[in-house]
Amino acid sequence: MDRNKIGKWLKQPAKMANKYSLNAVYFCTGCGIIEIPPVITARWDAERFGIIPVATPRQGNLFMITGYVSLKTLRAIIRTYEQMPDPKYTVGFGSCPINGGMYWDSYNTIKHLDRYIPVDGWIAGCMPRPEAVFIGVTHLWTLIEKDMANGYLRYREHYDQYRGNQEKLLGKLDWPPLYATGIAQKEIAA
Amino acid sequence: MVATVAQCVLLPVLGIVIGLFFLGLYRKIMARLHWRYGPPLIQPVIDILRLFFQGGMSHGAVFDFGLVLSLAGAMAIILFIPFAQWCPLQGSGGMLVILYLMLLMPLGTALSGGEAANPNASIGISRKLILALGYEVPLLLILLSVMSYYSTISIVDIVRGQQASVWALFSWPLALPGIAYILILPAVLGVRPFDTTTAPQEISSGPLVEYGGKYLAFEHIIHALSLFLGISLFVNLFLGGAANPIVFFVKILVVFVACVCINAVFPRLRIEQAVSYLWKWPTAIAFLGLVVVSLVK
Repeated sequence: MDRNKIGKWLKQPAKMANKYSLNAVYFCTGCGIIEIPPVITARWDAERFGIIPVATPRQGNLFMITGYVSLKTLRAIIRTYEQMPDPKYTVGFGSCPINGGMYWDSYNTIKHLDRYIPVDGWIAGCMPRPEAVFIGVTHLWTLIEKDMANGYLRYREHYDQYRGNQEKLLGKLDWPPLYATGIAQKEIAA
Repeated sequence: MVATVAQCVLLPVLGIVIGLFFLGLYRKIMARLHWRYGPPLIQPVIDILRLFFQGGMSHGAVFDFGLVLSLAGAMAIILFIPFAQWCPLQGSGGMLVILYLMLLMPLGTALSGGEAANPNASIGISRKLILALGYEVPLLLILLSVMSYYSTISIVDIVRGQQASVWALFSWPLALPGIAYILILPAVLGVRPFDTTTAPQEISSGPLVEYGGKYLAFEHIIHALSLFLGISLFVNLFLGGAANPIVFFVKILVVFVACVCINAVFPRLRIEQAVSYLWKWPTAIAFLGLVVVSLVK
């Protein structure tokens, strides 16, 4: 460990621990997942930054969506995201979650992931190289340091809009809302 | 009196620290064997710190209770197993208490994981109990032969008997049980070839599938303690314990590193392969050892 960081560790242990222990839930929606095995295995070794894949959303705090998002997958993505405990960070990987990428005119994929769940950062490219993942991670560190990786707070704050967007696209959702919505929220406030 | 109370408080803390060090060392050694750089040695501590600051959710009263039971069982055994010359509760029960208390860790995890009602957790629990059934048979035979050779149930007396003469592993009647213990040690610890219980790739880390936040942090601590306990039991029974804590620490470190290096090259066994292995060679060797000991005695 870097000796200069000991002061930071004593001052803000939660933030530092969040930074250096990113347990990733890789949501392999499309071709992007092919870049993840080199990242986590011997060639590029993400474990030296404290990044390891975990098997269930309950244990993770980094949610990576690798590839295009079809309507059917979006349901699973939303449910997985809602099962992860706070604080959690979402990263969209590749062109497709950003703006549709090569599926820009497809009838069955969504074009902007951040309308449906909050996204803290993007790794652009088709495909991004494993080095790009590490650059993305160092950017995420900076964001966590400056309290700017606050997607989970935005989700809570604007849950009405997110849920509205989800329902507009997918029709009626067959799971209960994560936070109080609409009228209920106003009642609590009153 | 004061010394005993101080030991009762400090030994579990020492156990947790050594166990977490072992977890970090495990990841580092595995990384070096893969020709990777690997995580920093304190990575498990960082993970646990992060999990304590992350919000988890409970799945009911039994979920919390099983976790506490498991942790309490692990911490209680530490008081009965000598760490070098320190063994605060040496007057009471010895090996028999250890045998009973060792059941609390898997049972607590099974209760707690079962409460979450996830199918993966159920599969993991059934695998854990089947594996326990597999290694308990040779383990009981081994402990029986050690106890009948030294004709005592007190683990402190067993350590003293070895320090008076020679380590049990190198004394000829107990060499066979010692070899059998080495063969089942990874199953007792739940490391590589026998990590079917918490296989992340097959059953989403088994009983731990619904754990998050501080609950998962406690599970990590229990895992660290179980590593420490399994190895210190082996060192006390077959490698002659130790006269001072530093020698004891070096002994458990050597056993652990050897265990990791051997097991890093094996792929994971299926559960029926694990049980058929455990009931074949280790059981046969342990049984032969018991016959030899009873003839010698």
